[in-house]
Parts: sequence; C-alpha cells; structure tokens
Amino acid sequence: MDERPASPTLTILASLAFVFLLAPVVIVLPLSFSGDAFMAFPPQSWSARWYAAIFSHARLIEAFFVSLGLAATVTALSLMIALPATYALVRLRPPGAEAMFSLFTAPLLLPTIVLGLAILIVFAGLGLLGTWRGLLLAHLVVCTPYALRVLATSLANLPADVEQAAATLGARPATVFRRVTLPLMLPGVAATGALCFLVSFDETVLSLFMTGPRISTLPVEMFHHVESRADPLVAAVSVLLVGFTLLVVVLVDRSLGLGKAFLKGG
Amino acid sequence: MSAGAPGARGPMLAVALLIPIFAVNALVFFWPTFNLFKMSFIRGEATGALTDETTLANWTGLFRDSFYSELLVSSVTISLVITALTLVLSYPIALYLHRARGLRRTVLLVLVISPLLTSAVVRTYGWIAILSDGGLVNSLLKALGLPAQRLIFNTQGVVLGLAEILMPYMILALLAGFGRLDARLEEAAATLGARPRQAFWRVVLPLSLPGVMLGCLLCFVLAVSSFITPKLLGGGRVFLLATEIYDQAIVTLNWPLAATLSMVVLIVFGLALALYARAARL
Amino acid sequence: MAGATSADAAGEGFLSLRGLTKRYGGFAAVDDLSLDIGKGELVAFLGPSGCGKTTSLRMIAGLIEASAGRIAVDGRDLTHVPTYERDMGMVFQSYALFPHMSVAGNLAFGLEMRKLARAEIERRVREALALVHLEALGDRKPAQLSGGQQQRVALARALVIRPSILLLDEPLSNLDAKLRDDMRAEIRDIQTRLKATTIFVTHDQMEALTMCDRVAVMNRGRLEQLGTPEDLYERPASAFVATFVGRINRIEATAEGDVVRLGGEALRAARSAHGPVELMVRPHRIEMSAGAAAPPQAQDGPRNMLSGRVARSVFAGDLQHYEVEAAGRLLSVERSTVSHEPPLRPGEAVTLSWRVADTFMFERAS
Repeated sequence: MDERPASPTLTILASLAFVFLLAPVVIVLPLSFSGDAFMAFPPQSWSARWYAAIFSHARLIEAFFVSLGLAATVTALSLMIALPATYALVRLRPPGAEAMFSLFTAPLLLPTIVLGLAILIVFAGLGLLGTWRGLLLAHLVVCTPYALRVLATSLANLPADVEQAAATLGARPATVFRRVTLPLMLPGVAATGALCFLVSFDETVLSLFMTGPRISTLPVEMFHHVESRADPLVAAVSVLLVGFTLLVVVLVDRSLGLGKAFLKGG
Repeated sequence: MSAGAPGARGPMLAVALLIPIFAVNALVFFWPTFNLFKMSFIRGEATGALTDETTLANWTGLFRDSFYSELLVSSVTISLVITALTLVLSYPIALYLHRARGLRRTVLLVLVISPLLTSAVVRTYGWIAILSDGGLVNSLLKALGLPAQRLIFNTQGVVLGLAEILMPYMILALLAGFGRLDARLEEAAATLGARPRQAFWRVVLPLSLPGVMLGCLLCFVLAVSSFITPKLLGGGRVFLLATEIYDQAIVTLNWPLAATLSMVVLIVFGLALALYARAARL
Repeated sequence: MAGATSADAAGEGFLSLRGLTKRYGGFAAVDDLSLDIGKGELVAFLGPSGCGKTTSLRMIAGLIEASAGRIAVDGRDLTHVPTYERDMGMVFQSYALFPHMSVAGNLAFGLEMRKLARAEIERRVREALALVHLEALGDRKPAQLSGGQQQRVALARALVIRPSILLLDEPLSNLDAKLRDDMRAEIRDIQTRLKATTIFVTHDQMEALTMCDRVAVMNRGRLEQLGTPEDLYERPASAFVATFVGRINRIEATAEGDVVRLGGEALRAARSAHGPVELMVRPHRIEMSAGAAAPPQAQDGPRNMLSGRVARSVFAGDLQHYEVEAAGRLLSVERSTVSHEPPLRPGEAVTLSWRVADTFMFERAS
C-alpha cells in the first residue's frame, strides 16, 4: 500500500502530541549538564558536576550493583523456570494447559501496588523483607509470566514437523529438544532474557515494598531521591540509565538479527 | 502434538516440568493474594499489631469515614480524566502512524515504544523539570512576562504526567484497533462524496471504536493503580487509592486497612472490566 | 517389474496394516484400513484432501497414535513402538529441514542418532549427497537452497538412514510444474535403484498413476480400492474411484439386470444390478462417426450404440473435445487430432459406440 499524505491538521496534532510524549525524556539530557545546585530549567550554568556526583554517592552505586546482580539472577532463574513450563504447556499439553497458562501469567494482571502489599505481608512473617532473597522472589513472580508468554509464542511458532522429522530420524524426545527445539528457540530465549532483565532492572513498586535500610535497588534509590530533593543528580543517572537500556536493546537486536539469518526460509 | 511416541510420555513429565513455576507462584502469588483477602477481615490494633479476630469493621469503616468514599470518588474521577486526556493526545499519533509506511513508520513506532523502556521514575522526574516552579513552562511564562503558575504537587500535575506515562499503551491499543481500518474504505467514502472530515467522523472513528475502548480500559486500570507518578508529582498533597495503600502499609502500618483498600482497587478493576465487556458486545 | 512386486504383495506383506483406525471424538479420520505392501514396492495413497491418507501415513510413522488396529513391518508389530524406534524415513510436505544445521548436518543427524562412527557418517553423507546430485552444497544452510534442492535434501536425509520404509507426504506439492516432473522421475529412479519400500501420499492422480506400482484410493477415511494404475482405470471398484481417476461420463438411469433403458435405447453394462444406477464410460473410449449409419461391429466384443447430435466442439491441441446430445443427455467425447480429419460441427448427426466391457455400472442411492 502506498503512503497516503496525512492532512495538515493531522500532521500538526500528531506533532504536538509527539512533543508532549517525548518532552519529559528529552528534557533530562540538557538538565543532566546543569551546573546549578538545584533543579531549574533552563539551567543557569552548565557543567558535568552531577555526573561526577554520582560516583561519590555510595548508596546509588551500591544500589546499581544490587539491581544489576538482581536482574541477571532473575533473568537466569526466570528462563530456567519458564522454559520447562513452556515446553510442558505448549508441547505436552496436559489437561487444563490453557487454564494453567492463564494462571501462571495472572500476576501481570494484578496491580503491583496490590501485589507488593500482598507479598510484603507474607514476607514480613517469613523474615524475607529487606533481604536479597525476598527481592529475588518478588521479581521472579513478575518476570516469569513475561518469560512464559514470550517463550510460548516462540515455541508455538516453531513448526512441529521439524521436531517430528527429528523423531522419525531416531531422536528421542530429550535429544529432539536439545538438538532441534532449543536451538530454534534461541532468538525467543534471547528476547525473553532481555525482557526479564529490563523488567527486573526497572521494577520500582514491588521493590519499594521489599527494600529497606540494608538493601536497595537503583530505581528505589532514585525514587527516594526525587521524593526528598529536587536537584539534577537524577537527570545524570537517568541519562546513563537510558544509555544502558539502549545498550541492552541493541545487543539483543544484534543476537536476534543473527538468529533471524538462519531461521529465514526454514 | 508431541514429537515423540504418542502416549509414551504421560502427563507425569508435564507435571514435573511445571513444579518450579508452580512453586514460585504458590509462594509469591497464590498465598499472598489469598492472605491479603483474609487480611481485609482481620482486626488490627492502633499499634499496628494484628489480632486473630475476624471483623467487617475494615469494610464498614470505609463507608463510615467520608475520607475514604471521597478518596474512592476522586481516584475514579481523576483516572477517568487522565484516560480521556490520554485518548485525545494518543489518537492523532495512532492515526498518523496507521497511515505512515516504511522507515517513517518504524522510526515513529520506536519513538512511541521507547518511553515504555524508560523508568517511570525518570519520566516523572522529567515532568518535574518541566512543571516545577523553576521549570521549563514557568521559565517560558516568565520570559513572556506572564505570571508564574503552580503546576506541580497538585492534581493538575498528576493528570498531565500520568497521561503522558500512559500514552504508549493507548497508542498501541488504538493501532491494534486500526488494523480493521482499510484505507480503501476512506477512498470509497470519498467517491461517495464524503469530505475528509465527514469520512473521519462517519467511517474512521466508528471503525476505531473497539481499539478506543480497549485503550481506555487499559489506561483507566493503570491510572487507578498507579503509584510512582501520583506520589512524586502529587507531592503528598494528592490522595489516591494507590498512594493511600502505600502509606497505610509502610507509614501507618495498618495492614488490614491497606488490604481492604487493595480489595477496593480490585473491585474497581472488576467493574471496569465488566463495563468494558458490556460495551464491547454492543 | 510392477507385476513382480504385486505378486509378492499378494502373499505376506512386508508392511501390513490391519484394521487401522483413527477416531477424533465421533469422527473417524481413518476407518478400518487394511492393506499389505510388498518389499521394494512403491505404493501411493491417493485421495481428496481430508480422505485420511496423511493421517494413515502419520500413524505408520508413529506421529499419531492409532485408535485401533495393527501396524507391522516384516512381521514385527510396531503399533506401540515410539517414532524414534520405528526406523522409517519420512519426507514432509514442508520438508521440515533443520534450519540451524547445514545440509550435511541434516543428513548426518539420523546417523548420529544411530551412533555410527564419524568416518562412516561422513562416507554415507557423501554418498547420499551424490545420490541427489548435491555434492557441492553440503555446507549450505537450508535457507540458501532452492525449493527443488531443499526437496532433494529432505529425500536424502530420509534415505541416508537406510530406513525399512520410506514415507513421502505430498513431497512435490510445493514445487512448480516443471520441477515436479523432473523430481517425479528422479524419485522413481532412486526408489527403484535402492529397492526402497515406499508409501507416497498425494492428491494428484497423475502423480499416483505414473510413478507408483500400486495405488490405494482413499475416500472419507476408507480404502476404496487398492490396485495397479491399470486396475483403477480399467476396473474401478466403486463410483468414487471411477470418477476420481481420469475423466468419465456419468449417466443416471435404472437397471434391470445388465440392461439399462435410456430414451428408448437399450445399453448394456459389464455387470448386472437392479434399481437406480449410474452408467459410466470414459470420453476417449467412445467412438464417434458422422451420420446415422451404424459403424462396423468391432472385433473386441459387443458394443453399445447411441445416435446423437454434436452440441459443442472445442479444440484442445492433441484432442478435440465434443459434447454430444444423445438420449436426452450431454455426453463428453474425445477424439485424437492426429488424423487431421476436419472436426465435426455443432448440429451434425453422429453415432456413438463403445464396448460393453468399457461400460461401468454402479448402484446409486435413490
């Protein structure tokens, strides 16, 4: 289909809406180079002092590494939990597979403020509040549904006859999975990993309930900082964070690109 | 169908493979959710300590104390306003995207999705930079010689900020709805003598209604339960269900009340969903 | 050679199906299928889509569990043996090549499953590549091959394991017409050379008739007829087979014994029946002469005769198609154009005649 020229009215309305949509993300970049002690826009002076300030802010740095380790662990565990579940629900199809799929993706339907409170109450009794294990479990319950969804789509899109061909050639089910199914799911697994990583790294509300003086994550620290004071520090952190997210996305896109190359036409 | 021998691998393997995901959900989802429901019927003491007594007092208290009925009404009202604003802001972008092709479409789509990859804290912070007393808008007003406006730490700020936060969801829902909109239908309307404006109101808008309804449901539900943006842009002066749940849970330590308010949020969810299902059938 | 293998099959079948049935709820996709296939024989499963031919093939491969019945190869009961132990090579309609492995990797896969030595695997992969003329393409990925090349890889992958039975599921349906002709000849050639016992599922009657020793015609889950291409064409066992294989005229009538009265004229059939029937005769078996004169009685037995009038005449290259109005019906008649005779014109009076032996008669539900 040819591109139809949008009417001037639509173009103007859409442009204004785009400005509105992107303004809060875009404004952070110039703000991060502010030389002022307090937040003002446009800044009175320019400098890189707030970038320097990040590195002397021990709690932020510590929280960054907690978030990084947490996201990596959550990603690995989500894959290890969701991959077998996906295979069971999509390929083995036990009775009630669809209901179970809905059940295991249901945590996404619950508002995180409600889920966070529910977990807070239970974890308080278990002594898991303010612990790394508690954070890990809370993040797992929101990451596994995403993993299950993306992996299930990826597996369901694999033509079953390629796996059947392997069986006719003498491969046992475990061998079929290892030699055929898993390699073909690799792009889906990479996308799932990236998604879980970003969801965990970005997760704020659940973490607010789980963190405490002993342990905190980067989004929680940023939240508390913005809540208590208005200075350009968070702008500098945000710019680095956006860059980091971009890096993850590009890395996955690269690996997916490779994946697509050998999937094409297959 | 399984790739191996039919019937050779019974449901036992499936059960074994589902144990880990079931364990995680049992511990961190089923049990806590059920427990939260129970908690809304437990009597708490002023100190935050819990008793073993079950009571309806948490629920009846909601109706006796006008603070909570007002909280509910203002949460729903503000969420509806946010939903409407989000729709108005998103519709032109979605329609423009629907008509764009090739590279332009890809780039714009990435621009629409990229805010989703940006932390809500960061985007809310961006709004503070725009709306605060020394922010972009007030600097512009000052340069024009106009009086400064209080744009933040009030309902206005929350509505603006949250509308922007929710726009990507609305745009994607609208785009899905536009899938049914064939460009040839508009051409057909034009050959029948409809001006572009008439074609929009008589053909485009009616056909996009399913997407509009889905987007509105999604945004309303997200607005009612949103926490970060109201907390930061409201500055503690805007009281909504989600912020109250957090305060009761973390500050006041009144878990039974927080649990009851959570149930109220879920009931509002249910009502919105029922209303949507009703409207979608018409 | 077709005759020799058929004779073998008449005795103990190398592959034997007994009462094979697949039910989905109350619907029988395959209903009580019994047949025997001899060693080295190439048999087609032919029928319209949904007739159960692919379901039967997948049951033989073990990809679908049979609801009832028995599958045996060389006397060994395979009914409950898992796919990976059945030792059958299968070529899928989609080819189902492993997209992440090279061509050589695809061929080696089945040999690796059989834990053959590396050197032996390499030797057999090279042989198999040579068999399908793809020696130079072993390192390519399937996505880098043309459709015809992918098809050959699929065939080589199924053959390289030296399966007891080769199963082909509509293997040519994704190829264009020219390539399809080449591949038909090539598959038949390879199958004959390797003496591979083969089942070939197809909905294309030309493919079945020209390639296969015997053809099993299926309809609505049931076996209509199993026979040589000549059997199906000359001695169809049912109205379905007669109409599905080749073109045929269908004349609804009522039979009294082997005689059918049609607009005052009596026609005879090769068998007898009573009540409503369909008479069938193939268009090219009808001889047609101009005028009302009776043609000389031929040497090859009694003939039916009808007088009529040409209604339409269409030139189709090697054939001239006619529609002739006779006894109140329209009959198709085909004449070869080899003699350069001027075609008959619409309106001309003609006499039709054909052998009683070519007149099929089937009961029809009234």
